Amino acid sequence: MFFRMLIESFVRRRSRKLLAVAAVWIGLSLVIGLLALGLDVGDKLNREMRSFGANIQLQPAEAAVDVRVGGYELVAPGRTVYLDEADLPRLKQIFWRNNILAFAPRLTTQARLAGRSVPLVGTWFNHHVLLEDADPFVTGAAEVFPYWQARGAWPMNPESCLVGAALAQELDLGPGDRVELTTDQRSTSVRIVGVLTSGKDEDEAIVAPLSVVQRLAGLPGKVAEVQIAALTTPENKLAERYGRDPQSLTPAEYERWVCTPYPGSVAADIQNAVPGSSARVVRRVAETQGAVLGRIDGLMLLLGIFVLIASTLSIMGVLSSAVLERRGEVALLQAVGAHRADVLRLFLTEAVAIGLAGGVLAALTGQVLGGWLLRVIFDSASEPHGVLLILAPLLGLLIAVAASVPPVWRTVHQQAARLLRGV
Amino acid sequence: MNQSAVLLEYVTRAYPGGVRAVDGVNLKIALGEWVALMGPSGSGKTTLLNLLDGLDRPTDGCVHVMGQNLLQLDVDEAATFRRENVGLIFQQFHLVSYLTAVENVMLAQYYHSMVDKQEALLALERVQLADRAHHLPSQLSGGEQQRVCIARALINDPKIILADEPTGNLDEDNADRVVKIFQRLHREGRTLVIATHDPDLGRLAQRIVCLRHGQIVEECSPDGSDAAPRATGAGASHDRDVMHVTAS
Ligand SMILES: Nc1ncnc2c1ncn2[C@@H]1O[C@H](COP(=O)(O)OP(=O)(O)O)[C@@H](O)[C@H]1O
Ligand SMILES: [Mg+2]
Repeated sequence: MFFRMLIESFVRRRSRKLLAVAAVWIGLSLVIGLLALGLDVGDKLNREMRSFGANIQLQPAEAAVDVRVGGYELVAPGRTVYLDEADLPRLKQIFWRNNILAFAPRLTTQARLAGRSVPLVGTWFNHHVLLEDADPFVTGAAEVFPYWQARGAWPMNPESCLVGAALAQELDLGPGDRVELTTDQRSTSVRIVGVLTSGKDEDEAIVAPLSVVQRLAGLPGKVAEVQIAALTTPENKLAERYGRDPQSLTPAEYERWVCTPYPGSVAADIQNAVPGSSARVVRRVAETQGAVLGRIDGLMLLLGIFVLIASTLSIMGVLSSAVLERRGEVALLQAVGAHRADVLRLFLTEAVAIGLAGGVLAALTGQVLGGWLLRVIFDSASEPHGVLLILAPLLGLLIAVAASVPPVWRTVHQQAARLLRGV
Repeated sequence: MNQSAVLLEYVTRAYPGGVRAVDGVNLKIALGEWVALMGPSGSGKTTLLNLLDGLDRPTDGCVHVMGQNLLQLDVDEAATFRRENVGLIFQQFHLVSYLTAVENVMLAQYYHSMVDKQEALLALERVQLADRAHHLPSQLSGGEQQRVCIARALINDPKIILADEPTGNLDEDNADRVVKIFQRLHREGRTLVIATHDPDLGRLAQRIVCLRHGQIVEECSPDGSDAAPRATGAGASHDRDVMHVTAS
């Protein structure tokens, strides 16, 4: 009879129940949509903000003190230490490997070109990093420095190179020209395939595939530094404290620090993975990202809370008035002998069903809504969030129960006689 | 009479604001007796019935029904008491809108003991509603709804039946049908307490108790005056044992 009542109550009062389910559905869709957006927005913004450049820099431990003259690292074999190119695939094997979005090594030397000395920069272009148990990771300068622009093409083989825009103008070089690069060790002929505008010192250099520069500099398999673009979480108090004094963290706090992709934790992870290296956070980039993300996160949180409260209130309004409408029925059930618990069980089960139904629907449409917002704002696709698929029905259930139980509770406790007289 | 069906001693029900809907009532009703509660609107009939079924509690005095002191019961125990002992008939029928006639009857079975659809259908047959068993209340006339309400009240074989203006919302034909049901119940030996405005229904009772301003009075006037064979108050003896009413 209990289930019969439940079923009849749903079947024969379809429109009321649909209204209740719709209230939960619509209200929670907004919340879930916003949450879905919130979960993605940090990630998306972070990727967007990669246009600021690399936020972590990897150098040989002993070269952490910059030796720069006129903006160029001095390459002096025998005195300067280098990292091994062969160690770099490790960046995609660390704990935070999925947060490593792109990286590009760099080796610089001076070469003679048309009778002058010009800086020669070696890096990766469209490089396939071979990984043991995953597809090759394709990365390079174009990925790390989205602001690099090449008129012409990117060098795709060891016979081609880019010429910096300023140098190109000075020497009247352009795509298609062949140049002879000479160092103390040897010389090679390469073809210019593009003119590079980076806005930085590369504009006055020849930029060639790493292997070319390694050969010319007599440093096979060596790199001077690696620029890394990593997905990180804005630094907070905890990260700041670690930065000031790692010893001040309790073990639990340390655990949390390790398990959060702060720029510092990711850098530490990288440094541990690459022998003889020193990773440092490029503060300017990391801090700008952090500040913007921190503000966006705060905004999303505030908006989320606001929408959650507003939705909860309106859902509760609809559901509790649906229950209050049935006070006469509550009194009647008691009059024919139902105990308070019997009545509560009936209404509770209905509320659970309504909350779950509305919540499940909201989990689906909310994600669609979030995905749509993401597409409109960031022009990028989103993946469904498993958390939300559980959270939405749970929220629906909680809100529906919270909305239904108090009015039923109050009703069963006092007013049966008065309700039956229809006052 | 070693046990009375109803025993009220100095029962008062005051509402916040000072209205004494029932005011110092003493009343004894014997087992098997048919009592009509009469009095003008607002005189406290409904309030008194709700004190008898345990849906309401007096602010003062003692209420014993079927030997049970209702003041000792909490809300759930009162519900148990009702489903075991009392059949309730309402002026507004109070059927569950989304349950069919037979399901409304089964509802009372469910809270009492076990659902037995055959028996519920039989109960509807006894109030001449066999062909309406699977209709929703909204598809039934007032008279039909009242008979569903009566079938529900009777399904658990209650010892005492409390009816609040059972014919108040019915036309003459339906009122007649309901009256016949009460006469049958009386013959079966059940205790009937029926609050009514209707002099015809009142006249059929063995005893008329007149209320005015929450108190029991001698004469049922103005609107109950012509209906009173005799109005008696507290401790009225059960002297008119046999009612000489057959179908009229
Ligand atoms: N919940 C209440 N609060 C205050 N006064 C009430 C309440 N219920 C009934 N009354 C008052 O109690 C008196 C008796 O009402 P009632 O028992 O319904 O009379 P009857 O059934 O004889 O018409 C009336 O004056 C009514 O206004
Ligand atoms: Mg009344």
